[in-house]
Amino acid sequence: MAVARTNGLALLLLPSALLFALFFFVPIGLMAVMSLLTGNPVVAANVAFTARHYLRIVNDPYYLEVIWTTIRIGLWTTLISLLIGYPLAHWMARIRSRAGHAALLMAVLAPMLTGVVVRTFAWMALLSDKGVINQILASLGLTTKPVQLMYNETGIVVGLVHIYVPFMVLTLTGVIGRIDERLEQAAESLGASPLRSFLEVTLPLSLPGILAGSLLVFALSISAYVTPILLGGFQIMTLPILIYQQISANFNIGFAAALGMVLLLVSLLLIVAYNRVLGLVSGQHELQ
Amino acid sequence: MSASIEIAGVSKIYDGGVRAVDTIEIDIRQGEFFSLLGPSGCGKTTTLRIIAGFESPSDGAIRIDGADITHVPAHKRDMGMVFQNYALFPHRTVAENVAFGLRMRGIDKQAIAAKVKAALAMVELSGLEDRRPAQLSGGQQQRVALARAIVIEPRVLLCDEPLGALDKKLRQQMQFELKQLQKTLGLTLVFVTHDQEEALAMSDRIAVMNCGRVEQIGTPVEIYDQPLTRFVADFIGDTNIFRGERVTSDAGPALAAGHGLFLALPASAAGTSLLSVALRPEKISLSSGDTETAAAASGARGTIESTNFLGGAVLYHIALDSGHRVLAQQPNAGAVFVPGRTVKLDWKAADLVVLKD
Repeated sequence: MAVARTNGLALLLLPSALLFALFFFVPIGLMAVMSLLTGNPVVAANVAFTARHYLRIVNDPYYLEVIWTTIRIGLWTTLISLLIGYPLAHWMARIRSRAGHAALLMAVLAPMLTGVVVRTFAWMALLSDKGVINQILASLGLTTKPVQLMYNETGIVVGLVHIYVPFMVLTLTGVIGRIDERLEQAAESLGASPLRSFLEVTLPLSLPGILAGSLLVFALSISAYVTPILLGGFQIMTLPILIYQQISANFNIGFAAALGMVLLLVSLLLIVAYNRVLGLVSGQHELQ
Repeated sequence: MSASIEIAGVSKIYDGGVRAVDTIEIDIRQGEFFSLLGPSGCGKTTTLRIIAGFESPSDGAIRIDGADITHVPAHKRDMGMVFQNYALFPHRTVAENVAFGLRMRGIDKQAIAAKVKAALAMVELSGLEDRRPAQLSGGQQQRVALARAIVIEPRVLLCDEPLGALDKKLRQQMQFELKQLQKTLGLTLVFVTHDQEEALAMSDRIAVMNCGRVEQIGTPVEIYDQPLTRFVADFIGDTNIFRGERVTSDAGPALAAGHGLFLALPASAAGTSLLSVALRPEKISLSSGDTETAAAASGARGTIESTNFLGGAVLYHIALDSGHRVLAQQPNAGAVFVPGRTVKLDWKAADLVVLKD
């Protein structure tokens, strides 16, 4: 009986297993193979294995610069999302009134109901040389020339933070909400000021959430395409833009695949590092 | 070192208009083991949290050694607190948990180490310094929480049902140890509990609370033997409550409890015509009823309905001839009345306590 039931339930896994295999492992496997071929085996007759795409990335400082730019934008986006998201998440996790919580949740989620393109255009209206911010600055007499707020990394980071901060907030809210408030009160009864109690108790205990949220936001920002292209105006080259160019303009699928593998590698390295750090900070009390 | 606390007309009204605590007046003396006792939702924990500074009262004042601390934040009150779930810091070791309060006070490392060692020795946890809370049993966690609270030599120790999560045997042991510790250190201790046995066993004085109000403040003996209100009589221990009209017979004042049951009232029982009286089960003595005991001042006849054998005593559920059901407790002297048996119940009029409703 029990065996049959287990097998029956296991069948329910089949759709998701198939989906994963077909649309996740197969494409990534194909990309990995493609990155090692001289040409596209579907159209070209004689293709051979080669490492030249990877050598090109490693040997040309331009591509290394693009990789570093992508990572840098990811790091800034993550850091700023964390700084904006943490207080908000803490507030949401600790708010007593149900209505207040619902209002905050709506405020966090509402932007996600609008498309990324629309939101990015909204930022362009705000950040451009003749945009809202520059006109206000000029009319107040604070600036004589427009301040360049977009077509640079600042603009991209502003746009990305706006898009990905909800992911940070939602991840952190869950973790902070599970921290017993009485721990903070215990710290206060022992003489810790509210700030000290936060630094000594709440912050270390929310570290898993900080890491998970950061990982999510970082991985999403380094693979973002629309926002960097619109707010960067092709002035800033990131990996996803480069990959798109290689495919659509240069038809160099092998090189694009190699760049894709690099993007994947950055994310993978980060996940490994995340697991390590998480093991270090929470490993001992997982033991029990 | 330890201090007295004055709770002066404190109320707590929540946003919805709920009065969690309603104009409470309590004076807790220095070095006293004081319990706040009541059913859940009676406001005892809210009162404790107001003393600790985690809640601010809507009205009234909290004074410690005469100084008003109503608006002093929790971290400046110098009070130790033991939480119901212990609230140990899960990411820190036992020693780090105990050292926390000392570190917040900027004490130098060597002094901290010495004090932590002494505190852990006091609660018999030496050798477990490097464990994490999750690696300890419930009883051990309880001791760490206690050590963490007393190591800072607080002016007042506040305990929120600290023994609630322990099994009975361990709870009794911890009751004894906590009481010993409190006496040795001369601590002013405010203890919140819903367990009346625990409160009676440990406290110097008890405040019995109900619906945000204090029903009675007194020593355990006063609370048990002289309950002021029906709630207190009912909540503390088993009791028989009779309600009826006050009548005057040849022998003096009596209570007509209905269906022909008259209870002779103590001479001191003055008051309104309609009143309630309480009679503790162990104040009733049972006899076989075959021999008439002429000396009995007051009594009734009844039939045993069921018996609860408690070991040292036997608790009888008895249906009186008048239809009233009463509890009577007798020391276990060998002979146990069987259900169905007719018995005579005797008690002294002086053991009847007149209650305020």
